Amino acid sequence: MFGSLKAGDKGKIIDISHVGHLVQRRLLDLGITEGSEVCVKCVMPFGGPIMIESCGQCVGIRRREAVQIEVERI
Amino acid sequence: MEIALIGNPNTGKTSLFNNLTGSYEYVGNWSGVTVEKKVGVFKNNIGHLIDLPGVYTLNPLSKDEGVVTSFFLNESVDRLLNILDASQLERNLHLTLQLLEFEKPALIGLNMIDVANKRGIHIDASKLSEVLGVPVVPVVARSGKGCDKLVDVIATKSIQPTKKNLVYYGKEVEEAITLLTAKISGKTNHSARFLAIQYFEGNDYVKDYVNSIADAEKLEAITANLELQLQKLYESKSLANFIYLKRKEVIESIVADVARKSNSDIPLSEKIDSIVTNRYVGMPIFLLLMYLMFMLTFDWLGTPLSDGLDALLTGPVTVGFEKVLTAINASEFIHALIINGLVAGVGGVLVFVPQIFILFFFISLLEDSGYMARVALVMDRIMESVGLNGKAFIPMMIGFGCNVPGIMAARTIETPRERLLTILLTPLMSCSARLPVYALFVGAFFAGNKAFVVLSLYVLGIVVALILAKIFSSTILKSETSLFVIELPPYRLPQFQSLWRSTWDKGKGFVRKAGTFIFAGSVFIWLLSYAGPNGLNVDMDHSYLAAIGNAIAPIFAPIGFSTWQASASLITGFLAKEAIISTMNIIYFVPNDASLQGLLADYYTPLAAYSFMVFILLYIPCLATVATIYKETTSKKWTAFSMIYAFAIAYVLSLIIYQGGRLLGFV
Amino acid sequence: MIASVLIGAAIFGYAIWHFVKFINKSKKGKCAACELKNSCSSQCGIPPKVK
Repeated sequence: MFGSLKAGDKGKIIDISHVGHLVQRRLLDLGITEGSEVCVKCVMPFGGPIMIESCGQCVGIRRREAVQIEVERI
Repeated sequence: MEIALIGNPNTGKTSLFNNLTGSYEYVGNWSGVTVEKKVGVFKNNIGHLIDLPGVYTLNPLSKDEGVVTSFFLNESVDRLLNILDASQLERNLHLTLQLLEFEKPALIGLNMIDVANKRGIHIDASKLSEVLGVPVVPVVARSGKGCDKLVDVIATKSIQPTKKNLVYYGKEVEEAITLLTAKISGKTNHSARFLAIQYFEGNDYVKDYVNSIADAEKLEAITANLELQLQKLYESKSLANFIYLKRKEVIESIVADVARKSNSDIPLSEKIDSIVTNRYVGMPIFLLLMYLMFMLTFDWLGTPLSDGLDALLTGPVTVGFEKVLTAINASEFIHALIINGLVAGVGGVLVFVPQIFILFFFISLLEDSGYMARVALVMDRIMESVGLNGKAFIPMMIGFGCNVPGIMAARTIETPRERLLTILLTPLMSCSARLPVYALFVGAFFAGNKAFVVLSLYVLGIVVALILAKIFSSTILKSETSLFVIELPPYRLPQFQSLWRSTWDKGKGFVRKAGTFIFAGSVFIWLLSYAGPNGLNVDMDHSYLAAIGNAIAPIFAPIGFSTWQASASLITGFLAKEAIISTMNIIYFVPNDASLQGLLADYYTPLAAYSFMVFILLYIPCLATVATIYKETTSKKWTAFSMIYAFAIAYVLSLIIYQGGRLLGFV
Repeated sequence: MIASVLIGAAIFGYAIWHFVKFINKSKKGKCAACELKNSCSSQCGIPPKVK
């Protein structure tokens, strides 16, 4: 789970289907989908968004959506 | 010849547009700077270049992306100029493949090669051109390198793509495409294959278009059948996903062919990010930056410059006008018109040019460096708690410059509810035209802590917006869906030249308005103050302007400013907020701000002055803003709402401040 | 005297012209300045469901 990853941890997305449709689409547009390798760059306080990096590009998403993404630590 | 510029967000389309057309459009380092189409003429006159908002795909999610899709369906275009970000080739190629399916002559500008090289990515442009079947020209849009070559290629070569159907979508999809194209071919000028694929992907704009020329039910049946087949055969999640994966396969093979990766150094971006988006210091850094911006604008740098300009206008300039007027033996009427009307009205506004330029410089700096998107990220938690998302903060920041582009910038917000909410609240952001009022009043009443008092007003605007967001989102604009996914572009060292140009571009509107509308307004306000029911050159208290002001003045008595002068300036302020200052300069009968400040002390107490500033901050969006709200919402109801609620909230807050302040013993 | 009349006429003429221009421009909003407003205006609104 994304929730267990800390800043600096790397993971591979294995299931993104639980995330809301719109967010899924937007992440897909940015090239982030199942099989993508992501790295957590930082986690905002008070349940704020997290910043992830994939293929050299940084993206901010909300914690709520992030925990719905199934990730495998690598 | 019509050439459309298209590409992913923040790939430098507008920079290239400016280079190719010699014009200057608004550029910045965040996704969604361009939210509408812009048309320019090529430097060597070979045709029109159309700058479109950035999109990831032709299947739109947000309003600004819809602009692109409807452009493709409704406008005729001769050539597509696709800009690719070399450092994000895979993602960018998704759009390229869709564009090539559109089957119009196309060429590719490969931008940001320098960024890619730094990241250890090397791309063989000629090989890419070979694979895609269209010309590929490497460019550096920011500096203009490669642009001449690009123009040559556009102008001379016939650039009909040499390859067709780059992506083979599999037997089932291809069959369905054939079925669908048979239904619509001959009824449209667009590529039927393109329409079919977009239709299958669930593109609503294309769906509406196709349904208007063919039988919707039959098309629906083809799609449903195809979806079922794919599910059975490949266990695909959805048709759109299946198509996406097919494209991805092709892209992966292309990228493997043309790109070479080597070791990269750690980008500077990441080091900066580890500080500014740090979980503990991110927010304090943002507030500190804002504070620095206000101190520089109002205290350290802006005020001395404005004072200097004021001295120049009241001294040599006024004396010069007096001399000329005496020399040509002008009548008393003309003398008063120029000195008391124009010099006071227009001059009073021009004095604030330095401060406004400093503010715009900082806004440009925020936009150009890449920090803007980080602010959205840092602010998201707060915005989420009031029913908005972090992206809504960007229109609000832009709104500090001018509310009109701020409201336009709300187009990048994907969900309609959040977009409407942002549109309604952006006018509460204190725009640069309100700045002269503060500058004048803090100079007169709060000289000791100018920047702090002004900052309190800006913060008040934000706080009121957040509270109202919470109220609106839990009452009239209730909805569960919220979307926040934001691209964080790499930081860029702003170039001085582009920074100056974008500051000038924003600021020149202020100067131009002073010379046109404020000029005109000053003439009429002066005339109203000069003439009265008893003839010309009456005592100001018996002028038409006083009569108008007196009519509504009692309304403002409870909030501390029942003078007709205040009421009259509030009326003109609806047309343009700068007009408030012109009006005050004219009616208080003094040619410059320094003496006006002295005079104001007779009419306002410090408490009433603060109440007045709060009222100016909130009371009503200016005419141009109201028109933009109407244009963007296409709803008379919401437009009227935006005016009424603003007035109500301004009145209530001023009342609380004035009456509460009096109870607490402030004067 | 002639100079006064000329200056007065010039100032008032200029003022009226810009006043009318400004009000017209403001009323249209920013979209109007876009050369492709025809295909855009149809898309300018917020979807009816939230109205």
